[in-house]
Amino acid sequence: MNLHYLTNELYYQKRRTLTAILGLSIGIALLIILNALSAAYRQAAHAPLKEIGADITVQRPGDVPKDLTGVVFPCSAVTIRDDQVKKIEGLDGVRGIGKAVLLWIFDPSRAWIVLGLEQQNSIGPALLRSAVTEGRFLEPGKPEALVEISYARQFGIKVGDTISMAGASFPVVGLADASRAAKIAVANVYVPIEEAQKLAAASSQVQSVSPFSPSDVNLLFIKADQEKITDLASALRNIVDKKATIGTPDSFLKLLGSFFALSDKLTMAASLIAIIVAVLIAFKTMAGNIAERAREIGVLKAVGWTNRNVVSQLLAESVIQCFLAGILGLVLAAIAAFGLSFMNVSIPIPWDMSPTPHFLPGGGDQIYKTLRLPVHIPWILACFGIVLSVVIGGVTGGVLGRSISKIKPSEVLRHE
Amino acid sequence: MNNGALLSGKGLSKNYGDLKVVKDVSLSVKAGEFVCLVGKSGCGKTTLLSLLSGLERPTAGQVMLDGKDVTSATEDELALFRRQNVGFIFQSFNLIPTLSAWENVALPLFPIAMKTQERERRALELLEKMELGHRSAHLPAALSGGEKQRVAIARALINHPKVLFADEPTGNLDSATGDAIMEILNRLHREEGVGVLMVTHEVELAKTADRLIRMHDGEVIL
Repeated sequence: MNLHYLTNELYYQKRRTLTAILGLSIGIALLIILNALSAAYRQAAHAPLKEIGADITVQRPGDVPKDLTGVVFPCSAVTIRDDQVKKIEGLDGVRGIGKAVLLWIFDPSRAWIVLGLEQQNSIGPALLRSAVTEGRFLEPGKPEALVEISYARQFGIKVGDTISMAGASFPVVGLADASRAAKIAVANVYVPIEEAQKLAAASSQVQSVSPFSPSDVNLLFIKADQEKITDLASALRNIVDKKATIGTPDSFLKLLGSFFALSDKLTMAASLIAIIVAVLIAFKTMAGNIAERAREIGVLKAVGWTNRNVVSQLLAESVIQCFLAGILGLVLAAIAAFGLSFMNVSIPIPWDMSPTPHFLPGGGDQIYKTLRLPVHIPWILACFGIVLSVVIGGVTGGVLGRSISKIKPSEVLRHE
Repeated sequence: MNNGALLSGKGLSKNYGDLKVVKDVSLSVKAGEFVCLVGKSGCGKTTLLSLLSGLERPTAGQVMLDGKDVTSATEDELALFRRQNVGFIFQSFNLIPTLSAWENVALPLFPIAMKTQERERRALELLEKMELGHRSAHLPAALSGGEKQRVAIARALINHPKVLFADEPTGNLDSATGDAIMEILNRLHREEGVGVLMVTHEVELAKTADRLIRMHDGEVIL
């Protein structure tokens, strides 16, 4: 292989070179951006769960309370027993569990959405700690309350006040802007989980719909090994309830309904089509280019180049062209990714994960988690695009080079 | 047949399907001899040149060059044989458009492990001989027809061939330039003892040759 001949060929035959490079680069760019978009949608679909430090949420649907008075469970989240929680903790792939108790409290003068949380657990709604705007977060062992700031404004609740819910009093120690922190597991009032468990266990309304002991819960937040999330989802249904609502990145992804939010298999199929298109473009362009050079190849053979010399020269040209196409494809994909990263995506939160009763004002509205589409090209995808280009160049150059090297110089040189 | 002959063909025939292009031709070229193969267009002289130079395999017959049987060689052996023993000059020059004059001259050396400086030195030496030293960095598109053919002659000489095969070397040139090219070929033959087998349809050009072989309808007419 002669490097100088190679560079001259690429430089002086600009039309040929650019056609080959542009054609393949579009295929490679398509492949990269398709996978980057798919990954971006997956990452976006993870956002509602990531906000509360979990990979999976679990809740069990139950019956609607007979009367909406006193302490009740939302019908989308009834008792998950303590023994079920212990079984879940032992599942392969579960790295940690956060527990919570969600209650609706209907007092004669006011309705409260109350969430009992584990103050020290980094999995679950305790992440609200960062959203405290005034006062402080809940401390362990103390029956105190943190109030959502807009609710506090609406009802004139201030830090230092004492609120009374279902006959129990809670000093307000802080206000939190929950809407800034998360879209699921939000409430009007946050209390320690033990307090919420006491309120639920003492409620005849709760007990009539779903027997509840003070160690039970009705919301679970699970941190899990990413590759085991799908398997865990079905294992969780087996333990909790066949009808349990299991929130996973995939379940949010399905709600997006975008082509790019389709399953791994479909993304793979689309990628495969992009690769085939890239290979066909490269093959067709280079076949045309090499056919144009039949006479030149004849001259090379006439002056003593062996088939191997010819093939290695064409192979090197093809590999370099395709390498450049890979780089250009990557640049095009990066530009497209930059443009697409300004796009917003709205992830619908399923009604059964929304804590607000649908019969209260605004309770029936669809809630969305809106965020910028996090499109970026991972190094591994970038490297794959370049390596794939080089492989396409190698295969194309090798196949076409071997084919053209078999021509007889006398055949292409005889017609003057 | 091989009596002092550098190149010899014995009973050479070439058929393309039913078409017999060369019919049982035997001829020889001695070392340092200038032989002209003349005949009308389509009489088979270019095909005979291709058979003798190893560009084409005969349907029947044998080609010997410097005592070696060329006919039985493999494709790659033929390529190496051409690289080491023969030089080609074509009617339409057949220079590589993306390579400069000196790079075109050095083209047969590209597959050989050799320093670029050495290739360039040898190519420039030959271009100087062709009075083209000042055009060594130019691409073929910037050269006149006569200059292109002189570059092609230099390329044919780069490997010190035993014999030069020239196929209508003046066919694409005006008469004055054609004369100049013929003068170069004659000089190479006279001063450096290079054997030349030239194909032409112009009998006038063949007058300076040592020997003239006429072809008609695929056969040699003595």
